[in-house]
Amino acid sequence: MAQTQAFETDFWKDANLRKVWDDIVPGEPRKTIPYTLTKEAIELYCKSVGETHPIYFDEAYAKTTRYGGLIAPPSIHILLMFSCTPADDWMRSPGTVNAGQSWSYNIPARPGDVITLQARALDKFIKRERLFVVHDNVFFNQKGDVICSGRGWTIRPM
Amino acid sequence: MTTTFEKLRAGDAIDGPAFAVSRDSIRLFCDASLDYNPLHLDDEYMKGSFGKTNFGGIIMHGMNNFGLISRMITDWAYPAGAIHRRLETRWVKPVRPGDTIQPSGTIKAKQVTEKSRWVLIDVVVKNQTGEKVATGEALVEFPRDLFCQ
Repeated sequence: MAQTQAFETDFWKDANLRKVWDDIVPGEPRKTIPYTLTKEAIELYCKSVGETHPIYFDEAYAKTTRYGGLIAPPSIHILLMFSCTPADDWMRSPGTVNAGQSWSYNIPARPGDVITLQARALDKFIKRERLFVVHDNVFFNQKGDVICSGRGWTIRPM
Repeated sequence: MTTTFEKLRAGDAIDGPAFAVSRDSIRLFCDASLDYNPLHLDDEYMKGSFGKTNFGGIIMHGMNNFGLISRMITDWAYPAGAIHRRLETRWVKPVRPGDTIQPSGTIKAKQVTEKSRWVLIDVVVKNQTGEKVATGEALVEFPRDLFCQ
């Protein structure tokens, strides 16, 4: 799949298509796209945070664990958030500041999983002259099992 | 020594890995996370202000802290047969190229439920001067069918 190559890394492009704080409707689903998680994408993510545990890299070792095969680190949702959303998603608006996140983990994502996302803004508010949006997200594998669910607080660009 | 649910006590410490933040490490995180927000890339853009905030230069992704804390928790949990179940974080201060950050954890409480056993952990990430850059709380499950790795 050419998913990574097709990814638009210039977040200014399409910026005018994205919703601003005023347009965001809490409760309204965000557009999402399925994503096939590859071993290479997992390895690149691991490298970026210094993950070295063999459960992410060594298939023979991973088979001996409770998971029975290679898995991705729980925090792989950091990548999934951008790989499962289109270029006009408001999470990509330049100047979006992440204020904090909370995530619950059910089962691990694995290489080869076709991952889908259900996501929406849940709330928006103004605090100390800053524009906040709360978003909630659930990632599923191809069997419909929940991988993880999470909530984030972002400060929207003004 | 292998960690066990029985032996854990409130106040026990978990040491996480030191992480040197550089323009390259931030760029690598962009490629790995697909988060190319100009906050992490564009020096010119970062000369401006964001509402009431001016960062004065590019900053590390807040989620890089999250990934480091998660790495600390899983590296601690896997050998004990335990499972990283939750992580909640707040970013307290921006992290910049040249900083060295390090997560750590402190066991806060243990809880036994009908079907499993749980450990709550306070987590913090500090920079090289000891300032807190991120704080949070993690939850680790110690299933009764331990499967030590």
